[in-house]
Amino acid sequence: MRARVVVTGLGVVSPIGIGISDFWKAALAGQSGISAISSFDPFPIEGYRSKVAGQVRDFAVERFIDSVHGERVDRYAQFGLVAAKEALADSGLRMAKENPHRIGVIVGAGMGGMVMGEREITQLYQQQKPHRVHPNFIPVITLNSASGIIAMAYGAKGPNLTISTACSSSAHALGQALHCIREGRADVVIAVGADASITPLVFAGFCSLRALSSKYNDNPEKASRPFDRLRDGFVMGEGAGALILESAAHAKKRKARVYAEIAGYAATSEAYHMVIPREDGLEVANTMKLALADAGLAPAQVDYINAHATSTTIGDAVEVKAIRQLFKSRADKITISATKSLIGHTLGAAGAIGGIASVLALYTGKIHPTANYDDPDPACALAGLSRSAQERRVKVALLNAFGFGSNNAAVVFKQAAAEGRRSKG
Amino acid sequence: MATDPTISLKIRTALAEYLKRDPDRILVTQDLRDDLGLDSMAVIELLYRIEEAFDLQIPDQDLVGLATVGHVVIYVEKRLGKLTPVAPIKKSATPLKATKQSKPSKPKSKKKS
Repeated sequence: MRARVVVTGLGVVSPIGIGISDFWKAALAGQSGISAISSFDPFPIEGYRSKVAGQVRDFAVERFIDSVHGERVDRYAQFGLVAAKEALADSGLRMAKENPHRIGVIVGAGMGGMVMGEREITQLYQQQKPHRVHPNFIPVITLNSASGIIAMAYGAKGPNLTISTACSSSAHALGQALHCIREGRADVVIAVGADASITPLVFAGFCSLRALSSKYNDNPEKASRPFDRLRDGFVMGEGAGALILESAAHAKKRKARVYAEIAGYAATSEAYHMVIPREDGLEVANTMKLALADAGLAPAQVDYINAHATSTTIGDAVEVKAIRQLFKSRADKITISATKSLIGHTLGAAGAIGGIASVLALYTGKIHPTANYDDPDPACALAGLSRSAQERRVKVALLNAFGFGSNNAAVVFKQAAAEGRRSKG
Repeated sequence: MATDPTISLKIRTALAEYLKRDPDRILVTQDLRDDLGLDSMAVIELLYRIEEAFDLQIPDQDLVGLATVGHVVIYVEKRLGKLTPVAPIKKSATPLKATKQSKPSKPKSKKKS
């Protein structure tokens, strides 16, 4: 029998709060973390089509991490370190009492160390002085710098991996962590998603893709509006989410508080287009179906979906189409929310932060609102979407995440109290 | 050989900033690794800053002889031919923040934190 895996700790760095308590309070209140970008020091934002983002304000790593580890890595990895620290503390796991080789770290990151990356590349091309490239450039931009530094900071000597599948990176990190524990390769995995690339070049690149919202530059809080008729693209965000995943047996042995069970996962490719989803939604529906099958659950058992819902015209409509295909008449009975309406699209962190919202929905029975869902797009209308926070007992939650490169992920969480019951899937 | 007090002070100040300690506690006799706790990567970062401050390029083969603070001071002095440094020691660019001013990296301590 394969090991069951549970979630025992949570940590977050987000545009609406650093720390789970502040994040969840703000999320339930529908607070927006989207604001105007004042400048890309040292040059102005004027030339950009989009001028809004979900930024983590006033972040200084030394406030959270009392060691050299935070200073050696880029902003995204600092976010990851801080989120992982909170999640570990929240889990009550005492590293000194654990076998470090049984604790892994799996990080999802889409862009990585772009703050330093962009600066060094710019300087090299402008000054043409190769010997002035910073010695830390390579260690910092190497995409596993976050998973590496988290392991170093907390002494985790088990499997150490980085998954980079653009916007679905950390949903896959959760899924691969689930597999890792199921297969007996680790007792605990610190699963993290992190990205911080609201940087001049990356931001310009997304602008050039015409992927970002540009109509709400004067009204930033309105810019991220998944499923709304007036949505016009996603809003860049930044942050990190961390979840401590642990075999149920290990959690039980140390009498850990269990938030939820992570019960199923699916990974697929649409093999279709680098940035455009298949409009028929078939592959998205199939991904959700496979994840539920992996969890031994039927579509009829799903109570809540934390939608990928980036606020792009096509993406949101395809996701709703897929939800209707799979859940049929029950689609309108499922409560749905879009975390990106509050914090923007945190790219590689999105799956982990959406996963946290899903786990908290299961644990607290509260579902955060979808901001700016003012005028429902008929192509995206689902009865379970709401501008207000909702309360219901959630037994099964589904997390969707889709990434550039035709990449899909779905993760299933279920209520811890339901453990041991046989599903009728 | 007498060292140039300006060069010595600038190098010790750079180290002090890097190590976040009082410049008076940085002595020319101290070994970069054994006494000041710099790991090999931190030594490379320090030399990167010294290259910038004194507009030098330090070839790989010269790194071997730079074990103590005094070695670095004498080396820089020789390379400059006792010229005045061309630029003040600046805080090194580190991969910390999106803002222009970043804190200098701190070398790896022997202590676990």
